[in-house]
Amino acid sequence: MSKHHKERWINSGIYLAYVFVLLFFLFPIFWVLSLSLKSVQELFATPLIWFSTDPQFANYLHVFQNTNIVNYLYNSAKIVLLTVLFTLLVAIPAAYAFSRFNFKYKKISLFAVIMFQMISPVVIAIPLYRFFVQVDLINTHASLILVYVAIQLPFSTWFLKGFFDTIPQAIDEAAIVDGCTRLQTLLKVILPVSVPGIVSTSILVGVQSWSQFVIPFILLDNNELYPVSVGLVNLQSTIDAITTHYLAAASMLAILPVMLVFILLQRFIVGALTSGAVKG
Amino acid sequence: MTNLKLDYQQTSSAKVSIFKVLGNSPVPWLFPLAMILVFVFLYPIVDMIRLSFTNANLISAEYDYTLSSYLTLFTSSGFSRMILITLFFVFFSVLFQMLLGCLIALLIDQGVKRGLTGTVMVRTSVLSAWAIPGVIIGIIWSMLYNESQIGVINYMLHSFFGWSLPFLSDPNVALISVTLANIWRGTAFSMIMIYAGLQTLPRDIIEAAMIDGANAIKRLVYVVIPTLAPLLLINLIIITVDTFNTFDMVMALTGGGPGQSTEVIALSIYNRIFREFELGQGAATAVVLLAINTLMTIIYFHYMEKKQVVA
Repeated sequence: MSKHHKERWINSGIYLAYVFVLLFFLFPIFWVLSLSLKSVQELFATPLIWFSTDPQFANYLHVFQNTNIVNYLYNSAKIVLLTVLFTLLVAIPAAYAFSRFNFKYKKISLFAVIMFQMISPVVIAIPLYRFFVQVDLINTHASLILVYVAIQLPFSTWFLKGFFDTIPQAIDEAAIVDGCTRLQTLLKVILPVSVPGIVSTSILVGVQSWSQFVIPFILLDNNELYPVSVGLVNLQSTIDAITTHYLAAASMLAILPVMLVFILLQRFIVGALTSGAVKG
Repeated sequence: MTNLKLDYQQTSSAKVSIFKVLGNSPVPWLFPLAMILVFVFLYPIVDMIRLSFTNANLISAEYDYTLSSYLTLFTSSGFSRMILITLFFVFFSVLFQMLLGCLIALLIDQGVKRGLTGTVMVRTSVLSAWAIPGVIIGIIWSMLYNESQIGVINYMLHSFFGWSLPFLSDPNVALISVTLANIWRGTAFSMIMIYAGLQTLPRDIIEAAMIDGANAIKRLVYVVIPTLAPLLLINLIIITVDTFNTFDMVMALTGGGPGQSTEVIALSIYNRIFREFELGQGAATAVVLLAINTLMTIIYFHYMEKKQVVA
């Protein structure tokens, strides 16, 4: 067999493997989309209908009108945006300090920060629930966002520190010689060149916070305040086989924002994940 | 130019002299981070450990300090069963996430090197599973596994092989179903980590191996995997911790049932406390999870240190 021939066989093998990978990963999403557009008859039809010939977009209208989904989506968007904002506000100065200062116990502090990354949110949620009940801050988005921010901080601080480390110290020194304070150096010199790192951090924090479930599940007890993750579990408990298409439509609506962000910004996400990976 | 510089210096020193003093110490920069981490992580962890030595429950405010939570926990058959269920879930999730992640990363890497089309599409579709919230993954898979007429997996099994499976109603099958859904969810993370590692492999080592006549399999086993070993280990630890901490996906898929057959440790903590109101026992279970988290962290640091020495 010639080399050229062999290469073609290998390429075909890779393509075949791609088909399996695509089927495995896309089929569940395709199926939810398919369910979300079926009528009740089509839902139970035998033989099974792979995709409705008459897509019922009214299912989505039904979900908009008869569930709290719009409110859930609004809550999630609000919580996620504020979480990203406050995470950056706290993580950027901390990352700067870890990158640019030399101080005693620096290594231990860095390890202490990343250690919290490993802690299960279930473990911290329960004492926090008891505490927030005592001080009457339970069922508020403010207390919720504080916990979300804390959960995102270890990763964000490490990630941004890694990014700041790649910016040459000489730039800082030049700015300080020019009379900038540390804060001015950070704001005027470091941040402008760190935009890609900050965007990557924001996307990762945003996607993770959109997915967050345990914390709001335990800390919130008011349907009006639920983010979309808790809202959907709530919705799932009220749904039976005959209304599966509505649950599917609600699921699609909950996935849609992250999917859009994801497909539009996928270069940033892959960049963020991979640079994180390489640094360990 | 010199004038400009002078002007700048004057205005800045007048305005922010106090910042200048404070700004040269790392303390104010790290203070907000430290406060938040102490309040949201350290205080709850200490409180949880304290509660594990009590007989507290969610109903009454009074409690005594005792070792009974741990004694009940370690002597109950439910606890050892729960640990076995968790270990099964973690072991097979991690094993297949690593294997599939590695395989897909190699396939994409090879595809890119050979100039094949569709590599970005494969990468994006795998990663999209990572972007979907865990609870929604649970809901999606509960629809796929549905055992009534609308369940698509059973429909396919039935039409191809003539039999179907009690995916979520049989205790043993349910545990496998939950693990499979978790593999679907977690493969993306390992895939992208390993893919990133492959991009950093020095070309010359591979080429040297090729000149020495090593075929693709030999290159993988003797060159690629050993070079990536530190990264693979770190990935292994991260996904192991994540899998031990899994709550959302299982909650939405089975709620721990049928019976307690899919009640992994994080779910068990929640159920003891919020379903049975046994705060003390839930806390003791939480301490077990904390011990696992800590152990994994120690291993993680150990290898991080090693990796830094090497680099």
